[in-house]
Amino acid sequence: MKRGLFVIVVLFLLLAGCAAKDEQTSGAMEEMTESHGHGDVKITKHFDESLTMLTDKNLFSLEMVIPAKQLSMGVNTVEIIVHHASGGDVPQAELTVTPWMPSMGHGVMQKPVVTERGGGLYSVDNVVLSMTGHWQLQVKVAKDDKEDTAVFNFPEVKAMGHEHAMMHAPPPKDLDYATMKMTANNAYNVMYKSIGGQIRINRIHSWELTINDAAGQPVNDAMVTVVGDMPEHGHGLPTQPEITKVGAGGLYRVDGMKFTMPGWWVVTVSIMVDGVHDSVSFNLNIL
Amino acid sequence: MLNFLMRASGAAAATVLLFILFSIVWPGPALSMDQHTWSEQEKAVLRSLSIEALGSLPVDPSNRYSDNPQAAAFGKKLFFEDHFSGNMKVSCATCHRVDYSFTDNLPLSHGMDTTPRRSMPLIGVAYNSWFFWDGRSDSLWSQALGPIENKLEHGISRTMSAYIISKYYRKDYEELFGPLPDFMEENFPQNARPALDDPDALKAWVLMTPEQREVVNRIYVNMGKSIAAFVRTILPQPSAFDRYVEQIHAGETIPSRMVLTNEEVAGLRLFIGKAKCTNCHNGPLFTNSDFHNIGLPQKENVAPDKGRAAAITQVLSNEFNCLGQYSDAHPNDCPELRFIDTSNKKYAGAFKTPTLRNVAERPPYMHAGQFATLREVLEFYRSQAQNPELSHGNLTDKELDQLEAFLHALSSPIASFQAEVQ
Ligand code: HEC
Ligand code: HEC
Ligand SMILES: [Cu+2]
Repeated sequence: MKRGLFVIVVLFLLLAGCAAKDEQTSGAMEEMTESHGHGDVKITKHFDESLTMLTDKNLFSLEMVIPAKQLSMGVNTVEIIVHHASGGDVPQAELTVTPWMPSMGHGVMQKPVVTERGGGLYSVDNVVLSMTGHWQLQVKVAKDDKEDTAVFNFPEVKAMGHEHAMMHAPPPKDLDYATMKMTANNAYNVMYKSIGGQIRINRIHSWELTINDAAGQPVNDAMVTVVGDMPEHGHGLPTQPEITKVGAGGLYRVDGMKFTMPGWWVVTVSIMVDGVHDSVSFNLNIL
Repeated sequence: MLNFLMRASGAAAATVLLFILFSIVWPGPALSMDQHTWSEQEKAVLRSLSIEALGSLPVDPSNRYSDNPQAAAFGKKLFFEDHFSGNMKVSCATCHRVDYSFTDNLPLSHGMDTTPRRSMPLIGVAYNSWFFWDGRSDSLWSQALGPIENKLEHGISRTMSAYIISKYYRKDYEELFGPLPDFMEENFPQNARPALDDPDALKAWVLMTPEQREVVNRIYVNMGKSIAAFVRTILPQPSAFDRYVEQIHAGETIPSRMVLTNEEVAGLRLFIGKAKCTNCHNGPLFTNSDFHNIGLPQKENVAPDKGRAAAITQVLSNEFNCLGQYSDAHPNDCPELRFIDTSNKKYAGAFKTPTLRNVAERPPYMHAGQFATLREVLEFYRSQAQNPELSHGNLTDKELDQLEAFLHALSSPIASFQAEVQ
């Protein structure tokens, strides 16, 4: 009994790896700085849809940009903008991001990969959350001789999943297979293209979306989601696709598209710009 | 005379016209004269199922040794090595028999003890995205590391594997991967691994230094990558079905020359048509490598097998996955893991669609050997007609015969890597 407990504690320490160490050191430093007074501290925010946080010692303010402000079970990408607490972006900092599950006392084996994009922007790939529940992202920033930490909380990380209506009936005879369509309320014109030519069953592949507004002007800054459905069977795609803004020409890249059943599929593209939402559904016949 | 001729040809034309009309309205029975006639769309489906569509082996970016013949030769030796087991009697080949389409003939496999699932055929396995019935591995090399440390299968540890390699395979290993340290009890415990099911081994593992653990993990991973390089080479060869597709595309129609019997062809027509088997058993290996709950009977007196739903966390947290430090891939080369569908509700009780190549040669069937014969499998599918993914009207007894006949036409000899021993 006692030994079992020892083993479990040890295992968690092992999985915790450096994360446990980080916690100790940052705690110690916090005490040290507490006696120093606070200067002008403010949170800088570039995006409406972002999470912000001051680091523990008020050295930096961090802005985290993720779709819908939520992380989900699986592999996530987040963007972090590092600002000085006194304002101004922080380039060339060293960022360490550690996913942590406080209730279980463990992290994950995969290390997030941080890439500096310039202007204080860092993208963090490979943020693996292996289960649902309460997760934290511990972000450590080191710049010159300064180091500080902040912890972002995600109390309810969920598994991905959408409701899929089941029609259990063959597709209507006159299905429209157009690859360019207006959205339901005519706000946008959307075109999709499978990169690499004809869609092949069972192959993970990417799409390119082109979104223009009703006047034909490219829409470059939309929140876009893509959901696939097989109405006859009541299920969706076997993947969670990810959408990236190209930032010009109304272009968006959709990675992780996959169809594993032949037949009638419906792919719905939802678009949100400045609070205006509209969507369009494309029919596909996968061979 | 002229008049007569004209009338005759008029009658002939009318007959032809009538025939054409008739054949448009009435599709004809499955076993009509032109049962070797397929529509363009059907021909495309046949081609997509044929071995011709298989293409070259997919690259495994997570394993830089995957196409290295020397690694495959080494991996082949390891595959058949009995020393890698708690009782010196179990090798990969115990449950993946060369003479049995690389699986075994048991409802539940037996290594050191009985496993909760049936073994799987390894034919063309490298074309899959996920491995095991529940897909809890995302590469063949990380898959190979599972059974070694599984108490019911090989039942040894990664440190013991390193000992065995250093004792029996030092030369093979060092030629590929560089120098091996000496394994002696003073430097390395014999039985150490990070798992909760063996507290002593776990304790021993934890007490090793991080550097020692790294050394052992490297050797273990290299071993997995070598085994994977061999397992990749296990491939189907053309079956009667594939030769038939070739005939159809060459325009052959003379019934006496066709490779498949009428009954087999009727089964093929059902397979891609009314019976909807290609919803899941599609592509040249007759699998979409995806997970489905097809409503199999649950075993009594055991907790239900959650299948894929339980495996999602496992594959995400596996230290040997494509995104981990032992993978040779760039994170962008791990699309399956990056875009993994984590909706565990959808995958409750779901298992990977198995290949149907050589299916007739290797009973029993399903993830826990639920059925002893193909007939039982087909009877089961018939009983599931209300499942929208399986719906197929009602299959008659005769149609089950035809489907069964067709499944027999998917058998072929198996190719695999021949180590060149000098
Ligand atoms: C005790 C019997 C046993 C032994 C020994 C064994 N396997 Fe398996 N193998 C199985 C079973 C059972 C499964 C399915 C397990 C599951 O889904 O949980 C399997 C699954 C696999 C798969 C997945 C196939 C697929 O389509 O996803 C591969 C590949 C494989 N084994 C290779 C190996 C290799 C390589 C070894 C030796 C290192 C090995 N096996 C040793 C029984 C065994
Ligand atoms: C919805 C997807 C789906 C459809 C449609 C489907 N299968 Fe399957 N098939 C599976 C899955 C998944 C398994 C493994 C199930 C398990 O073990 O839990 C399987 C197993 C089998 C097996 C056993 C193979 C083995 O190695 O154990 C045979 C044979 C088979 N199917 C034939 C058919 C035939 C014939 C049809 C058409 C009547 C068909 N299947 C339709 C998904 C499907
Ligand atoms: Cu479907």
